[in-house]
Amino acid sequence: MAAVHGDAHGHGHDDHHPSGIMRWITTTNHKDIGTMYLWFSFAMFLTGGTLALGIRAELFQPGIQILQPELFNQFTTLHGLIMVFGAIMPAFVGFANWQVPLMIGAPDMAFARMNNWSFWLLPVAATLLVSSFFVPGGAAAGGWTFYPPLSTQGGLGVDLMIFSVHILGASSIMGSINIITTILNMRAPGMTLMKMPMFVWTWLITAYLLVLVMPVLAGVVTMLLTDRHFGTSFFNAAGGGDPVMFQHIFWFFGHPEVYIMILPSFGIVSEVIPTFSRKPLFGYSSMVYATASIAILSCVVWAHHMFTAGMPTVGQLFFMYATMLIAVPTGVKVFNWTATMWQGSMSFETPMLFSIGFIFLFVIGGFSGVICAIVPIDIQVQDTYYVIAHFHYVLVSGSLFALFAGAYYWIPKWTGRMYNETLGKWHFWLSMFFFNLTFFVQHFLGLAGMPRRIPDYNLQFADFNMVSSIGAFGFGLTQLLFLYVMINCIRSGEKAAQMPWDGATTLEWTHLPTPAPYHSFEKPPVVK
Amino acid sequence: MTAESKKGIRILQIAKAVLFAFMGIRKKSDLEQDAATLKPTELIIGGIVGAIIFVVSIILVVRMVVS
Repeated sequence: MAAVHGDAHGHGHDDHHPSGIMRWITTTNHKDIGTMYLWFSFAMFLTGGTLALGIRAELFQPGIQILQPELFNQFTTLHGLIMVFGAIMPAFVGFANWQVPLMIGAPDMAFARMNNWSFWLLPVAATLLVSSFFVPGGAAAGGWTFYPPLSTQGGLGVDLMIFSVHILGASSIMGSINIITTILNMRAPGMTLMKMPMFVWTWLITAYLLVLVMPVLAGVVTMLLTDRHFGTSFFNAAGGGDPVMFQHIFWFFGHPEVYIMILPSFGIVSEVIPTFSRKPLFGYSSMVYATASIAILSCVVWAHHMFTAGMPTVGQLFFMYATMLIAVPTGVKVFNWTATMWQGSMSFETPMLFSIGFIFLFVIGGFSGVICAIVPIDIQVQDTYYVIAHFHYVLVSGSLFALFAGAYYWIPKWTGRMYNETLGKWHFWLSMFFFNLTFFVQHFLGLAGMPRRIPDYNLQFADFNMVSSIGAFGFGLTQLLFLYVMINCIRSGEKAAQMPWDGATTLEWTHLPTPAPYHSFEKPPVVK
Repeated sequence: MTAESKKGIRILQIAKAVLFAFMGIRKKSDLEQDAATLKPTELIIGGIVGAIIFVVSIILVVRMVVS
């Protein structure tokens, strides 16, 4: 670390940094740390994806062929945990690390050393989580929501999962504090809050949500731990506790968590669409307000995940109404993106394709969410594939597509090289096709009554399951194409133009060379 | 204008900003006026009060529906 600081200030070499493995272990540079976050999350994405393919391989046909039920349940549980905590969340933090300082004209993150620590906690947590497959009894198998009593009864794998969640939570909280402090204290002169790029705004609000709810998650897993090992009975009815209380506490974290995973996507899409429409974002202030109100509302709707757990009608109606009202600010956002494109001089490079794909499919996921919010319908579709289809439309074609859009959009700035546009477009269209093949049919499966988290099913579900499994393998293989496009770009891509996107207006494009130097904005730009 | 009526107008402006925020829409000119006159702390407190009013009003609607 000393070397980095010494070089930065002593010699003023923009690109000088320690080499070899120590560069990555000791780095305090936001770009290095951002890069590590992104590679880590992609590795976890492939790991979680492999588990998903195991699930889909088993479900290709009725009957038990590949995975025994115990292992199947471990696969579904770890698939969810790895994708949520290991892939999607760290990927967004990676984007924040790279982009927030560049977009607000700051030289680095506020707490550079804590930033290093936030990242290096992640591989530890991931190792705990993945190694739990190899302990006696195997990994946690009670679903990613680890409801008791299953989670109080499981073996060592559950303990490893609890510790892993603790560590991931600590990492997230530190990352959020860093992001909040950076945004509030290190903006370039003249960049008032209402001049900040939308991506920065969404991350500021997301970071506050994280600081609010991650301690709740840490609390609930600690209660689980003491129930398991120290004789407490928070969630054990035999000891006077209540397993439903776990669900309330978990979902008080879990529902804002959904927005933690989607708000930064809104931010990325709000940067990409104006650039490729060559128009400023329509209704910028409305977008800021909508993001804030979505964040507030997300804290008062958690029990819509628990309509069948036992709740008075008054409670069901309250959470149903509150949930449906979230559609209002979300709808405002969709209208604003559409209005941004209206009469714009649009072009359809890969980031724009992924952003439009995002809007189209996220709206489907949003609508199925409103459908699930209606109590009588939810009681029918609870724990069926309809819910699986719904949240994969939100998290895969929502969060993941936005992440792809962001990666293609900013990779020229990060590496100084262009990706292969033709292959990028292939990546988009194949993802689009296989995603819908995998998940659209799951709506039908769910409505027909197929429950989630089972390795076997009745014959009437066979055809759609086969279609879904073929789609899943196609989608998984398509992501290897993304890996190829990115490696190809980094190693031998064409040199990127100084301003590869002519519609871009944020500081990283207008005030920095391409690629961004190792140390940027040592003198802050002045924003007018 | 008396100090008290000024205070009243200010609270009204905060309430308006928060209400529009909950819907997710705001005119640019109004926003600029908000940004020039209102303090962030006031808006945060306004937002929390707004959230409480939001929750209470849904509870009231629900009670009306089930009674």
